[in-house]
Amino acid sequence: MTQTFETVDAGFTITGGKFSPTRETIREFCEASLDHNPLHLDEEYMKGSFGKTTFGGIIMHGMTHFGLMTKMLTDWLSPIGGIHRRLETRWLIPVKPGDTIQPTARVRQKKQTTHTGWIVLDLEMRNQRGELVARGESLAEFPPLEHSAKAK
Amino acid sequence: MSQPLHLTERDFWKHQSVRKIWDQIVPGEPIETLPHTLTVDEIHRYCRAVGDLNALYFDEAYARKSPYKGLIAPPSIHILLMFTCTPINYYMRAPGTINAGQSWSYNVPARPGDTITLHARALDKFIRKDRLFVIHDNVFFNQHSQVICSGRGWTIRPE
Repeated sequence: MTQTFETVDAGFTITGGKFSPTRETIREFCEASLDHNPLHLDEEYMKGSFGKTTFGGIIMHGMTHFGLMTKMLTDWLSPIGGIHRRLETRWLIPVKPGDTIQPTARVRQKKQTTHTGWIVLDLEMRNQRGELVARGESLAEFPPLEHSAKAK
Repeated sequence: MSQPLHLTERDFWKHQSVRKIWDQIVPGEPIETLPHTLTVDEIHRYCRAVGDLNALYFDEAYARKSPYKGLIAPPSIHILLMFTCTPINYYMRAPGTINAGQSWSYNVPARPGDTITLHARALDKFIRKDRLFVIHDNVFFNQHSQVICSGRGWTIRPE
């Protein structure tokens, strides 16, 4: 059965693809985002201390979480007429080359406002040890069918 | 024609002396930004880096038949736009800048060929757990003055 705003209930869960960052994928993200911060490139620099934090090696861009979560949400939403409207994330544990991470999203709430429908989702990103490395919250809009052709 | 420095410089240690440090950042003061015309190659390079090969970003014929009526960029393209629309002296390029979290709202999609402008400022700065924080406020517009997306970021500044 094709999903619609009406048929999605609280508790419904979406699972995104697994991603295993390497030095090469991190460098590729540097080139694609123009973010060449040495946090992501310079092993010697990353052996140092950052105030109260020591990373011990290069780390994946936090914004890679953002891109992976966005892909999971838009892959689910586009075919069912939903529009990705908001994403908020917090990064909790650094992700390093050799880790494997995977995002999930769980519908927390559906809400119908005057003109349109909304779904609030809770997001998690966990690594291969099951540790929560990032969490987030998302908002998706489901315009009435007569308006969806005008989707922005 | 050679590309401007802010699109090509990979060494973020260079120009560090001209970037504001935490002490000098004034919440509320607009930062200098640069308009940028987004190319299809930039969109595709970003999409491939996060493994997002949605046909809306790659397949012109498919995208034309979609509600978007043409190719678009993924919502998270602001990750790239933050660096295409800011000069080399912007303090977000300071080595050791740690991104603690972000929230973004999306209105209309960015499209290849759009000339995009950024309105940005630090909104707040504070010290918490002995770390120097800044809250960033950013809004991207297209050439029609439509909001593409607006976002707020939390960074820990290098000391």
